[in-house]
Amino acid sequence: MTLLSVRNLKVSFDTETGVVEAVRGVSFDLGRERLGIVGESGSGKTMTGRSVLRLIRPPGRIEADEMRFDGVDLMGASETQMRALRGRRIAMVMQDPKYSLNPVMKVGAQLMEGLRQRDGLTRAAAHIKAVEALEAVQIRDPERVMLAYPHELSGGMGQRVMIAMMLIPNPDLLIADEPTSALDVTVQAEVLAILDGLVRDRGMGLIFISHDLRLVARFCDRVLVMYRGKIVEELAARDLLHARHPYTQGLLNCLPRIGGPRQPLPGLDRSADWAV
Amino acid sequence: MALIEIENLSVTYRSKGRSVTAVESVSLGVEARQSFGLVGESGSGKSTILRAICGLAPVTGGTIRIGGDLVPTPRGRAFSARVQMVFQDPYASLHPRHTLDRTLSEPLAIHGIGQTDARVMQALDDVGLPQSFRFRYPHQLSGGQRQRVAIARALMLRPEILLLDEPTSALDASVQAETLNLLNRLRTERGLTFLMVSHDLAVIDHMCDRILVMQNGRAVEELSRQDLASAKMKTDYARSLFSASADRMLEP
Amino acid sequence: MRTMDWLRDQNPTSRAQARAGQAYLNWLRLRRNPLAMAGLLITVILLLVALLAPWLAPHDPIAQDLSQRLLPPLSPGYPMGTDEFGRDILSRILFGSRITLYIVLLVVLTAPVAGLFIGTVAGYFGGWVDAVLMRITDIFLAFPKLILALALVAVLGPGMVNAVLAIALTSWPPYARVARAETLTVRNSDYIAAVKLQGAGGGRVIWGHIMPMCLPSVIIRVTLDMAGVILTAAGLGFLGLGVQPPLPEWGAMISSGRKYLFEQWWVATMPGLAIFIVSLGFNLLGDGLRDVLDPRSAGK
Repeated sequence: MTLLSVRNLKVSFDTETGVVEAVRGVSFDLGRERLGIVGESGSGKTMTGRSVLRLIRPPGRIEADEMRFDGVDLMGASETQMRALRGRRIAMVMQDPKYSLNPVMKVGAQLMEGLRQRDGLTRAAAHIKAVEALEAVQIRDPERVMLAYPHELSGGMGQRVMIAMMLIPNPDLLIADEPTSALDVTVQAEVLAILDGLVRDRGMGLIFISHDLRLVARFCDRVLVMYRGKIVEELAARDLLHARHPYTQGLLNCLPRIGGPRQPLPGLDRSADWAV
Repeated sequence: MALIEIENLSVTYRSKGRSVTAVESVSLGVEARQSFGLVGESGSGKSTILRAICGLAPVTGGTIRIGGDLVPTPRGRAFSARVQMVFQDPYASLHPRHTLDRTLSEPLAIHGIGQTDARVMQALDDVGLPQSFRFRYPHQLSGGQRQRVAIARALMLRPEILLLDEPTSALDASVQAETLNLLNRLRTERGLTFLMVSHDLAVIDHMCDRILVMQNGRAVEELSRQDLASAKMKTDYARSLFSASADRMLEP
Repeated sequence: MRTMDWLRDQNPTSRAQARAGQAYLNWLRLRRNPLAMAGLLITVILLLVALLAPWLAPHDPIAQDLSQRLLPPLSPGYPMGTDEFGRDILSRILFGSRITLYIVLLVVLTAPVAGLFIGTVAGYFGGWVDAVLMRITDIFLAFPKLILALALVAVLGPGMVNAVLAIALTSWPPYARVARAETLTVRNSDYIAAVKLQGAGGGRVIWGHIMPMCLPSVIIRVTLDMAGVILTAAGLGFLGLGVQPPLPEWGAMISSGRKYLFEQWWVATMPGLAIFIVSLGFNLLGDGLRDVLDPRSAGK
């Protein structure tokens, strides 16, 4: 069953030096599965994720032959319809919780805000739901976290709160843009495990955007590899080590390995045909 | 005798009545021409050690010796001709309104060294940047190119010691590989001594001969490269860092 | 076309070309803002008028002709009418632009420079240097501008140069504040740490590395303040403490036209319009420059 289908998506920006094409014709389908989008900076992976929510500000422009989410035409939808989708049915977790949480509002108030306004819950009912959400992301003392301000939380805690907040409305699709790259490696593993469990239990679709092939390979079913606004290779995550495209191979080989040889690391050949 | 000797170094930041101890009695020694790695998670104090060596962090205890001599405070020009640093974020470490030419010639001007033109051109060559970039501004360069400029700047005064503060963590994987290769090449060519900080065990392993694992401002365990490769760490923390390393994720 | 290519060259061959290329990019960005261009146009017209006043003015600005006094606008030979001494108002406004520009330039050359210096030094060194310099700044800020200027002129005696001095002495504190705030954000950045690490002393760091980062904010502030400077100068003129008659200063002209405001409205209104248009021009330009020069948008 297809949850999201994207055909020939293009994102371009008008700048002083001319039109810059960030995404150049990307197509993919997503079911209730975990899809990884991998690429280096400037590959258009973030823009692809944001386009699904039509969160590209002018002078950026989105064009697509088709972009459909569960029967809704995302290209033709009005801004009001989009607002109804965002957060409630499609949620997004960004890289750094520092910039995604309101710094002058307590965590609890931010979690309950949506519940009370959108779902019209009473204060007490919203409180119970918010605590449940925090427990779902394995926060040990949710009552204390509810009363904390964002700056009083560590990076890993902040990101868990963000995930809890995004998952309260039980969305069908979660877009996670580098959700763990601001975190330490040991915390990163925990947060990913939580995210993985939640997506699995609730049967959500997940788009996991990252620069790190290894992470994506571990946590996704399918991987799209992007380079300069195009998908260069699509493959099942378990086949990643047998990737055929030279770019994907290059990305894997250029990483140093513990106990690896001391020779110079192989770089990417950016002059090859595919790179143009 | 080690080139860099740090004994019981403590760094405490004080502001508005609160004091935070970032580093607590850490000792380490780096031999000349060796490459030494500091690894740990955020808040482990690894970068603070580099900043303390440069006089950019308040040392509250212990000693720092370079070549057997205590470092003077303020550090002074003789120190800057010996020890230089490459910062983590190449977007923040180059002056946004100075051309590369200005950035690279500034250390020469400070130390009253002539032959500016030749030296700047040579420096661009050494780090693999085209000479036509000489009058570009940082915003006209990619992250990897900026980091090359930062490396070139650090080498302008021909120092013996290079302090590297997560020099590749802001870069893409393929650019990281190129930058690490460049650093290794320069180290062999010039006989440099590296003191490198990273959160990525694989990067540290690729670059360094000896490794100090840090946590919460304290030294946890010192490992040789062989210990790390054969997973012979003694402490639990070093082991958890090892098993959480992204490098392990592809293992079945 | 060749100049364009030279300016847009990605690989400049000299510092001058690199700088010119940057300026050209800023100009392109400024050109996209129609209001800023309107402001620039007004400023350029002011410059041209001041430069060409002797050729543009139909009459001598101070020659009196009592037979022609208080003629309404559009009278033959007097497009803006005449004042109570029969002097042509148009000619007086055209020559008055020179005085206005002179005052503005002198203030701009003194107050921001002093402010920039004090602000960056205070911000960079911090501690007691900061405390002393900023308390002095606070003292100056605590006085209403015009009152302080009045007091200074009262001590120094009326006149154009003293008016400029009084205005400059009252307008530097905001620049010091802006420069200090900017310095505090720049001071702990890695590129400042890098140059310190190369052994640079305080003077070199402030002059070569911190000031260039503070300059845009100060320039923006200056263009926005120019309107205020013109108004303060006019205010001093209006109170008879600035430029002395018979020199055609706009504020003094309004002051003398005040007596006739109900019957001969044009005497005070025409110079008032001139002040209004020029102030508006500087404000629009300053607003546009903020978008172009702001260091926070420069990196992108």
